[in-house]
Amino acid sequence: MQSIHFPSYPPSFSIAHVALYTSLAPGSAASLRQRIITASTLPQDEAGNAEREAVNFAFINPHLITSRLHLQTAISQAIIAETGGSLRTKTVHSEILWVLNPTNNISEAIRRYGVSDISTALLVVRVCGPDLSASQAQEQLDKIVQGTLVPFALLDSLTDWDTIKKYHKLNNEPAILAAKGDIECERRVVDNIVTSTVAMKSVAS
Amino acid sequence: MSASQPLLASSTPVLQGAEAKVYQADLTTEGPPVLLKHRFHKQYRHPNLDASLTRSRVAGEARALLKCLKYGVRVPGIRIVDINEGVLGLEWIEGSSVRKLVPSGAEAEEGGEESVALVNNNEDLLKEYGVSMDSLMMMIGKELAKMHKADIVHGDLTTSNMMLRHSSSLSSQKSEMNTELVLIDFGLAFQSSLVEDKAVDLYVLERAFISTHPNSERLFACVLDAYEREVGKDWADIRRRLDDVRLRGRKRSMVG
Repeated sequence: MQSIHFPSYPPSFSIAHVALYTSLAPGSAASLRQRIITASTLPQDEAGNAEREAVNFAFINPHLITSRLHLQTAISQAIIAETGGSLRTKTVHSEILWVLNPTNNISEAIRRYGVSDISTALLVVRVCGPDLSASQAQEQLDKIVQGTLVPFALLDSLTDWDTIKKYHKLNNEPAILAAKGDIECERRVVDNIVTSTVAMKSVAS
Repeated sequence: MSASQPLLASSTPVLQGAEAKVYQADLTTEGPPVLLKHRFHKQYRHPNLDASLTRSRVAGEARALLKCLKYGVRVPGIRIVDINEGVLGLEWIEGSSVRKLVPSGAEAEEGGEESVALVNNNEDLLKEYGVSMDSLMMMIGKELAKMHKADIVHGDLTTSNMMLRHSSSLSSQKSEMNTELVLIDFGLAFQSSLVEDKAVDLYVLERAFISTHPNSERLFACVLDAYEREVGKDWADIRRRLDDVRLRGRKRSMVG
């Protein structure tokens, strides 16, 4: 588990705990997804709130994340939307999925960037204040995710550049064509475009 | 309260213009800093008008930057957009403004009365970047042509709005071409495919060259040379229009 600190953001949104899982147990992604859906439909009582709190994370498809900066930008924009009162979705965690997706369709964002029934790897984010420590968040996660916790740096090896280019419709952009052949350079260009797209999601035309 | 307000309060002011204040900020505890451009509230405008102008300008600048990125024009990447506060966060470019690298009479003016002695430490500054004056001009021309091919018109081209990025701050380890020219400040940029707008863009830069860098005609010719090579078939039209604009000034009609 890793923590990204936003020291200048309001205290209750100043930390994002990030955990990367691979080799999820077979079927666990499907049951996790079902659990998240069920939690959101439970009534507003004590049991319902407790269940929502248990799955109060952003579950992200790590194959579509290009870099730490990409993820960090999405978290930062979700916090800005939450604190500015302009959330397009219900929570700061679902907002992270929404800003990651280049289109305005919320269910598409969740389908592409969220957990799916066949997920084998998962990137989990919890936005919180200093009152929830990394170890507490980890403890909570251990109860709901069955997989291997791996260092965040392994994200690089999971990134699916072709799908990212497809979703962002980058294949015919001059910057990508110019970088053809130099894979290192092309990835840098894609990362920069994708990160910028996330940052400007709220004003995209 | 939006999260970008405390972020602004904790950041270091860099510059102030009429339209916006520029800060250097640390969004996270690690990683490079970001540049924050805050279009502050203008007391002299009606609040509703102020809000809508600020919104459209932040959005316009972000869109122009993203289009440039997709066309491979070197511009800073976008990091933060808070439309409600008028805050735009951009990639921090470590380097030097081209204005400081091209010989100018400004330093002499500040120093004493009408001393025409040009301060010529610019060549030394340029050496640090490993480029000659001519190749700097060619980099400018090439970048402008790429921008115009993307149908983005900058609207405020000056040597102050171009940065030469330090080679050390680039991640690539390649030895050739690791000093980059980066265009900045797209606050007045707009989309246009009109030859007129592109010619006026070049004309504005030409005037900026003449007024900030004495005897720089040869340098600007270098810029146009490289522009011509990159922009291709549209050059004939743009050059013809640039000649027209030089005769009449940048306003097509004499109204307003």
